[in-house]
Amino acid sequence: MSDRILVIDDEASVRKAIMLALEDEPVQVDAVENGEAGIEMAGRHKYRMIFLDLKMPGLNGVETLRSLRRIDADLPVYIITAFYGEFLEQLSAAEEEGLNFELLRKPIGGDQIRMIISGVSQGPFSY
Amino acid sequence: MYLIRLYIAGQTPKSLNAVSMIRNFLKSKFPDQSRLEIIDLLKNPELAEMDNVFATPTAVRLRPLPVRRVLGDFSDMQKVLDAFDLNQ
Repeated sequence: MSDRILVIDDEASVRKAIMLALEDEPVQVDAVENGEAGIEMAGRHKYRMIFLDLKMPGLNGVETLRSLRRIDADLPVYIITAFYGEFLEQLSAAEEEGLNFELLRKPIGGDQIRMIISGVSQGPFSY
Repeated sequence: MYLIRLYIAGQTPKSLNAVSMIRNFLKSKFPDQSRLEIIDLLKNPELAEMDNVFATPTAVRLRPLPVRRVLGDFSDMQKVLDAFDLNQ
């Protein structure tokens, strides 16, 4: 299993929060600010999982997810979003296309990031 | 009664696998004494607050107490059972 995690988010504070949360973990974090850069990174490296912002300038989260799925259909991708209908409606197209994705609620905490990585890497995490 | 509420993100292949996994473990461990509630957060995002769920998939064991939340990869039945302390 790869030790690399990819973060795609236009907000520097979110990228920094995830990198800080994982600075003592045995993983390498790559963080980019838009979908185009994320797709390029995903094509160049093998990742354990990806954290992907839903609302970004340029390619949005759904468009980015569609391209990521052409590279790897099964890689865990957590879409970072507020849990409100107006945001989540955008994901219905991805659902209808059968694209796999999971949800991660904003704002994100460091403990939550570490729990998700543990749950994906080592099997279900209980708390 | 063993009661689990499972939060998923739409009817994607991985979501459906998680539903199938939890349903199978309840049937095998607690036939006729269990219930599975499924909440699709794409349809009802506000319900995540009910159990303080922050990511999918998350399975919340409501009965028996204490409440336990399990999240992550639900593809391995043995690991799912371990997470609920049911692997004896």
